[in-house]
Parts: sequence; C-alpha cells; structure tokens
Amino acid sequence: MISFTLSPQQKQIKELVHWFAKHEVRPLALEADRLGRVPEEWLQKVNKMGIQLNTSSFGGGRSAPATEQKPEKKEREGNRVAVIAAEELAWGCPAITLSLPGPGLGGPPIQSSGTPEQKQRFLSIFTKDEPRWGAYALTEPEAGSDASGIRTTARKVDGGYVLNGQKIFITNGARASWVVVFATVDPKLGRAGHRAFVVEKGTPGFSAARTVHKMGLRANETAELVFEDCFVPAENLLGGEELYSAAAHQPSGFQVAMKTFDSTRPIVAAMAVGIARAAYEYTLEVVKREYPKQGRLYYEAAELLAEAEQEIDAARLLTWEAAWKGDIGEANAMEAAICKAVAGKMALRVCAMCLELLGPVGLDGHLVEKLYRDVKVFDIFEGTQQIQRLVTARRLYAPYGVHV
Amino acid sequence: MISFRPTEEEQAFCEVAKTIADEELRPSAHDCEQHRFVSASIVKRLHELGFLGLELPESWGGLELPLISQAQIWQVLSYGDLGIVQGLPGPGEVASLMRQTPDHPIWQSYREAGQTGMWPTVAFIDGEETIDVRRGRDGYRLNGTSVPVRRAAFADWVVVAAKDGGGEPVIFVFDERTWETVEGDFRLGLLAAGLGRIRFSEVFASTGRMLARGEEASTLLGHARARQCVLEAAKEVGLMEAALSYTIEYTAGRKAFGQEIAKFQGVSFTVAEMAFECRGARNIAWAAACRVDEQGRTAEGFAWRALARAHRSVRYVTDQAVQMLGGHGYVQEYPAEKWMRDAQAQVLLYARETDWFIRRGEQLLDERKERVAP
Repeated sequence: MISFTLSPQQKQIKELVHWFAKHEVRPLALEADRLGRVPEEWLQKVNKMGIQLNTSSFGGGRSAPATEQKPEKKEREGNRVAVIAAEELAWGCPAITLSLPGPGLGGPPIQSSGTPEQKQRFLSIFTKDEPRWGAYALTEPEAGSDASGIRTTARKVDGGYVLNGQKIFITNGARASWVVVFATVDPKLGRAGHRAFVVEKGTPGFSAARTVHKMGLRANETAELVFEDCFVPAENLLGGEELYSAAAHQPSGFQVAMKTFDSTRPIVAAMAVGIARAAYEYTLEVVKREYPKQGRLYYEAAELLAEAEQEIDAARLLTWEAAWKGDIGEANAMEAAICKAVAGKMALRVCAMCLELLGPVGLDGHLVEKLYRDVKVFDIFEGTQQIQRLVTARRLYAPYGVHV
Repeated sequence: MISFRPTEEEQAFCEVAKTIADEELRPSAHDCEQHRFVSASIVKRLHELGFLGLELPESWGGLELPLISQAQIWQVLSYGDLGIVQGLPGPGEVASLMRQTPDHPIWQSYREAGQTGMWPTVAFIDGEETIDVRRGRDGYRLNGTSVPVRRAAFADWVVVAAKDGGGEPVIFVFDERTWETVEGDFRLGLLAAGLGRIRFSEVFASTGRMLARGEEASTLLGHARARQCVLEAAKEVGLMEAALSYTIEYTAGRKAFGQEIAKFQGVSFTVAEMAFECRGARNIAWAAACRVDEQGRTAEGFAWRALARAHRSVRYVTDQAVQMLGGHGYVQEYPAEKWMRDAQAQVLLYARETDWFIRRGEQLLDERKERVAP
C-alpha cells in the first residue's frame, strides 16, 4: 500500500542520526567552515563511535548486527534508510558529513561490481581503531558530465596496468586509503574501453597535486589527483578481468560509474533536502522570535515559509520514491535524476529565500549564509541539473523511439 | 514503511477508471464543453460503477473509500477530462460533510433518493464573505449572492457554510429551490461544470435546515475542507499528467530544422521540468491524503499546501504544453489550449495559491511544540 510512515527501523535510525547531527555535528559546523577542515580529534572521536559515511548502507554505525543477520526475512530498505540518514547528517552540516570516515562514494562501485576478494580487501579496512576514507575519481579536466569522455589511460602490462592521467574535484581524495579510478584502455573504444581500478594510497606514481578552495563545503577536502606511470596490479581491476573479457556485451567501466549514480544521486538529493530543512527551521525560529505578529512582513514571511516547507517535503518524497524503487529492485535511473534535479535547485532557492527573510543580519555569523554557500554544489556534483533533465528526457522519450 | 505501491484494489479500480478516461471522457471532452454539460451516457456509466459515491458512507450504499484511494481514482478520471469530472452530478464537495454525519436526519431524503436512483446534485457555497445570515425569531434569513461555483446551473440541493450575525459558523442545507441561479458569461474553462452564482433573497431557513452551528460546524467544515482540498489537488495532478503525456508524444513526432523537436534541449529540458512538477505535486497530494486519512482535521495544513502546490504545477505544466505545441497549442483543434483554460478556471474556483500558503504559513508560525520532519 501507499504509505509515507517510517518503519520502526527507519524511525530509529532517523532519531539516532538526528541526535548525532544535532549534538555532535551542528555545534562544529561554523567553526569547521572557518578552519577549512574538520579537527582531527573530532574525526577520531566519531570514528570510535562507529560513525562512518558508507553510502551503501547508512546504519548509524555498525552496531546493528541483529538487523544485518536476517536480511532475507524482510523487505530491503537500505536505500530508504540511506536517504533518511543522509538528510539528517546534512542537516547537521554537509561539509562535515562528507568528511566522515568511510568508503564514501567509492563504496557503491565496489559493493556492486567488486569481486568477493576485493570487497573484503577494500571494505573491511573501515574499523574503529583509526579513521580511513575511500574516494571515487571520475571527473577530469576534459570530462565532467560526459563520463564517456575519460582520457586517463590504463595500459596493459605484465601483472597489471599502468595508469596515466589526472582527476579533479575528488572528495577526500588526498587522504583516502584507496580511490576508485575510472580510466580507458583505448580511447577509441569509447565506453567499451572503460575500466574501474582501485588505486591504493602510496602507490608509486599516484599523488595528490593540490587541494582546491571552494565557495562552500570548506571543511571538506577536495583534491586533484595525478597518475604518472602508476602501476596498478591486475587484482585491483574492479570486478576482475572476467567482468570484461567474455564479450562486448559485458558491463564497461562506464556502466559501473553510471550504476553508482542510481544509488547515490538520491543520497545527494537527500543531503540537499537536509540543508534546505536546516535553513528553513533556523529561519522559522528567527521569524517567530523577532518578526512582528501582524502586518505585511508577517504575511510575506508566512507565505514564503509555507512555500519553503512544501518544496522541502516534495523534494524529500522524490528522494524516497527513487530509494523505494531501488529497494524493490526496479530501475530507478529516471527517479534518481528527478530527485537530484529538483532537490538541488529547490535547496538553493530555499536558502536564498531564508536569507531574504533574515535580511542584512543574515550576513553576520548566521548558519544560513554558510548553508547557502554549501548548497550550490549539490546542484552540480554527481551531475548538474541540466544532465538530470537530459537523463529524465531520454527516459520520457524512449517509448517513442526518439533519442534526445 | 515508506511505499509508493497502490493496493491491488486501488490498481483494479484505477484500471477501470483509466479505460473510462481514455475511451469515454477524453473523446467527449470537446462536445461536453460545447454543450456545457456532461452527457447522460457518461453519467450513467460512472454511476453504475460507483464513481459518484466514492466518499459517501457505506451505510448509504456509497463506497466510503480512504482518501488515498479516491485521490488516485480522481487523478485518473481527470486525466480524461477535468471539465467533465467537475460537471458530474452527485454530492461533490458536500460528500465529506455527509461522511461525517451519516445519521443526521437532514440527509434522509438525499440518502433515499440516492439509494433508489442517481445521487442528487449538490452545490456547495463557502459563503462566509458573500452570504449574510441574520437570526430571526423562528430561524434565520439568508441574503446574498455567491461567487461562481461549479454545478450551480443544475443543482438539486445547495449547502451553505457561512457565519451568522454574531460571527458564529453555521451550515445550512437546502433541498428545495429556495435559491435563484444567476447565469453568467463563462468562457475561460470548466465549461461542462455548470458554473454559476447562487443568490438568496430573503430566504428563510428554519433550524431544521441547519446541519450544524458553532464549534461543531467549524470542526465539520475544517475536516471536510481538508478532504476536499486533497481531492481537488489530485484532480489537478490528473489534468497536468494529461498535458505532459500529450506533449511528449507530440514533440517526439513534430519536426523542425530537419529533426524531431524533442531533440532540441529547449524542448526536452522543458518536458523534463514538466515531469518534475507532475511528480512533485502528485507526491505531495498523496502524502496529504495519507495524513488526512490518519489524522483527520489536524492534518488540514498538509491538505492546503497540497492544493497550493497543485495550483502552481498545473498552471506551469499546461502553459508549457501549449508552448511546446507552438501554434498548434493555441488552436482549438488540439486539446492543449483547453487544458490550459481548464487549469486556470480550476485554480480560480478553489482559492488562490497565495491564500493557501499564507494559511499554512500562519499555522507553522503558530506551532508551539518542536517540529520534527516526518
């Protein structure tokens, strides 16, 4: 049946994650933005709590063995739990959220395409003794939304591959223990030539060139990565050679990259929803406290806040719909694109609207101006809203045989 | 559990509704608009299948469906034609008052009429600002002319919600033609819906004509309004879905500069945006339906904002449908211009988008307890 009530597990995780976001993340948000980093001791502390950013399975920690032990008995709800948790974490602070230890965006491709040995080797390092990160490296100076335009090369040699190229805008790229890197074995093959590799920190020829400075998300590290004659052993080819050798019909690295986005776009969208909600709730309290109780300003504020509330909930429902489809095993590429496009645009609009309600005082030390700077990238990374419109339009026209 | 899957019963009902929408409502839309009423064959078919009593109590022979089920059904029927949907006979908005007061003696003759034949047509007047109610010695006297309402032209019954001279809410039910229908010059849209004003000139109403007064009336009205806001939002979703799907098909076939116009990003991105609006408005309406089903009147704010959102989206989507069809969108041989007219007429009938948002905003600013997202 159609239902928008959270299951007991969903509710529990939401409350747990919200508590963490409210008491551990939010208090640090403005300070981390000012420092341009998340303090090491804080990361150590939360890592010991078992808090990790694993976009494959938000669990509010790894202390839920009872749930994990009986997955076959109940309906899969990992995607819905993920978007619920992502919203709450981003409500606390999106930059700190993206800086949490864990495989991050690198998790989904390993989870969906890695061999059992690779999953064990790369996903088991995220333990409580020390914070560690994974990363996902797709974007290049000449290849952004057009993921098929990858120029990083992977030349086959004895025992593995040699990578050459550059990746930009890589979240947690400099401190990651490993990075999932997309490269091509032959640029002329287009998508069919793409491969995904796991490149480990310290591999000769692999380096982080610099960390870029951004409009927002300043506490989160964004790196440029360079691969110069970087040898990667064959066992680090994601999925192994067997994944690619059987026939041309087997999935390429491109498909591995795109498959990632179907599960992570709803999470990015949910984070945008969390940011918008944070700005809205903050501003609602300010208006309640400081605005006159009648007159033009009051009614303007009432209308704007009601619009914001509706937009936030509408975007949230779109993320839930995309996540629900993922959980029941139905194709959700269109829904993932829709929620990403809508939430990304909505969140900036809501933050701007909230700043307008705060007026000039919003310039000075208020959370909302930081959220406004942070939120813009949520309409850019993992695909701009223009790309999401293109993905959506392609699905809408597919029944008519028109490829847009 | 978060789920977007209809029940099997809902799916079955909607499949029947979809067949009717495609095979009977859509092909008749133009004729019904020209003739300004819904054809008898359509009415008979919908009545036989129970579509005119979805909200009515089971004890009356109605289906008394949950709001989430009705929302889906009206959405599908409105995909066929909103003008026809709004012109159908039956209890209309007043069904939600009936549902709450099934045993009230004032409905006795209505219930009996419906159980032996067609449900009589009821026009609803929200007359707080237009109908003057004065208390006299033996009852009340009503004066005033309503704003345009649907089905005024062929109403068998009229229900008026107003405030008496002392500011107290009151609901009157009239089943005899004590009112006068004022014909108007209606050209914009929903022309099969029997739009008109209803005038009361020194009409006497005994207390026997009163359904409720005071706090009771306020509660009944609040709950009924919430339910009806959700259903009107769902109808608007159906209309915009019709415009979207027609536009996709048209732009996939129409050529300009040597290729299908869908291949130009100016077109394909606009169509994607139309889909975003449809999906967003639908989800907000469905969520509101579930809320009102669970919480009754306390969920009225969710119903208001669902209608506000649907208002905005239906105007955007139908406007873009005309735009994407170009000159064809503007001429009456193609359905898009009718959808745009119907959309705007619908929005005018059910209050302004701004009004709904301000009401919801006032509610948010008045909330005392800490609010946690759903």
